[in-house]
Amino acid sequence: MIKTKNLHKSFGNLEVLKGIDIDINPGEVVVLVGVSGSGKSTLLRCLNFLEKAQEGDIIIDGRAIDRKKDDLSKVRAEVGMVFQHFNLFPHKTVLENIMEAPLIVKKEEKGKAKELGLSLLEKVGLSDKADVYPNKLSGGQKQRVAIARALAMEPKALLFDEPTSALDPELVGEVLQVMQDLADEGMTMVVVTHEMKFAKEVADRIIMLDEGCIIEDADPETFFNHSTNERTQQFLEMVNV
Amino acid sequence: MLEMLNRLYDVFMSTYEGFLQAVLITLEITAVAVILGTLFGIIFALMKISHSKVLQTIANLYITIIRGTPLIVQIMFLYFGITSIVVLSNFWAGAIALGVHNGAYIAEIFRGAIQGIDRGQREASLALGMNRTQAMRRIIFPQALRRAIPPLGNQFIITLKDSSLVYLIGVSELFGRANREAASNFMQFETFLVVGMYYLVLVLIFTWLLKLYENKLNVDES
Repeated sequence: MIKTKNLHKSFGNLEVLKGIDIDINPGEVVVLVGVSGSGKSTLLRCLNFLEKAQEGDIIIDGRAIDRKKDDLSKVRAEVGMVFQHFNLFPHKTVLENIMEAPLIVKKEEKGKAKELGLSLLEKVGLSDKADVYPNKLSGGQKQRVAIARALAMEPKALLFDEPTSALDPELVGEVLQVMQDLADEGMTMVVVTHEMKFAKEVADRIIMLDEGCIIEDADPETFFNHSTNERTQQFLEMVNV
Repeated sequence: MLEMLNRLYDVFMSTYEGFLQAVLITLEITAVAVILGTLFGIIFALMKISHSKVLQTIANLYITIIRGTPLIVQIMFLYFGITSIVVLSNFWAGAIALGVHNGAYIAEIFRGAIQGIDRGQREASLALGMNRTQAMRRIIFPQALRRAIPPLGNQFIITLKDSSLVYLIGVSELFGRANREAASNFMQFETFLVVGMYYLVLVLIFTWLLKLYENKLNVDES
């Protein structure tokens, strides 16, 4: 579904990704972990070309994307993204936020987009918030709207960039619940998170990055209980699992 | 003191018909200059933040020249420049000169407002599959416009006052009219005091309208 081959990314002289190979299968939930600065967010952002890797291939649905020639908008429309700081459009209502991309990118008719928007709001449990502006929502509600907005494009996969890191602790659960529901429905997901409980319970696979390299790629049981990698063990001690 | 008030009253009563007509011309020229200036401002702001070095250079040149020379020079230069090529009324020559002048300042207002919008807005738009133009038109510019309204309003007030300079190329707007009145009634002090009040009232009305509009925007979003 999403595959990278020998992906390299540098910011100036700082090499953030040093040859990353990953292979994410349809329906799989992959959690990326690692200390801050390990390159996990950068890797995620490379997958939908918000960052352009200097070297290596990104293969989506069996096709290597040419960063210069391909229409990246089309690629991005198929791989949704949820951000740490939600990035909702403040000048649009909740429903308009969700309808925007179907209307503008897919040129869907208004009635259909609205119907889709309302059904997605119901799915994330926010039907009563359709007509309010984002600044009236709690962080958890904002993130659920952001997930609905990404789903409105009917993406083949969803990327989550620390979706609960900006939330008050009591609001984390409602967002994780929506993500878990998505996982149960078979959505392909790549999640950067520090929520180890989520990783343990929902992930099919955990990939650990350290200094721009993958040092572990295992199922949760192996990762949390049987890892022999020293860095992994240090990390697990740090996050207190 | 009483004598002074009497003279003011006399000047006011003898000029108000002419002044009210002239107010219309001042408002017209301001409106044209504001519309042209906003148009130029948006175009040059977009050029300045574009990825093209050529467009950036053109925009920078324009902004540097306009901000680096007096408005009165620009009005004279454009007036004699334009009217030597095409037949144009003084009104339009003045309005265009004011518009071109304003464009440079408004371009900087828009550039600042656009660049002040959080990077995440653009990223979220792109991540949803929008191209750069769609992201600018639908998401970034509408937010930047709201942010630009207070400084734009300020710039419009400056334009209203600056429009008095076009009296020098013979446009009979408010200040031009006052100048003529003063020359014939020999009560310069009183006449310019009266015309000053006209400008003050116009600016206060405009400020009030702007405030109403800003409040409406705020209510819409909450």
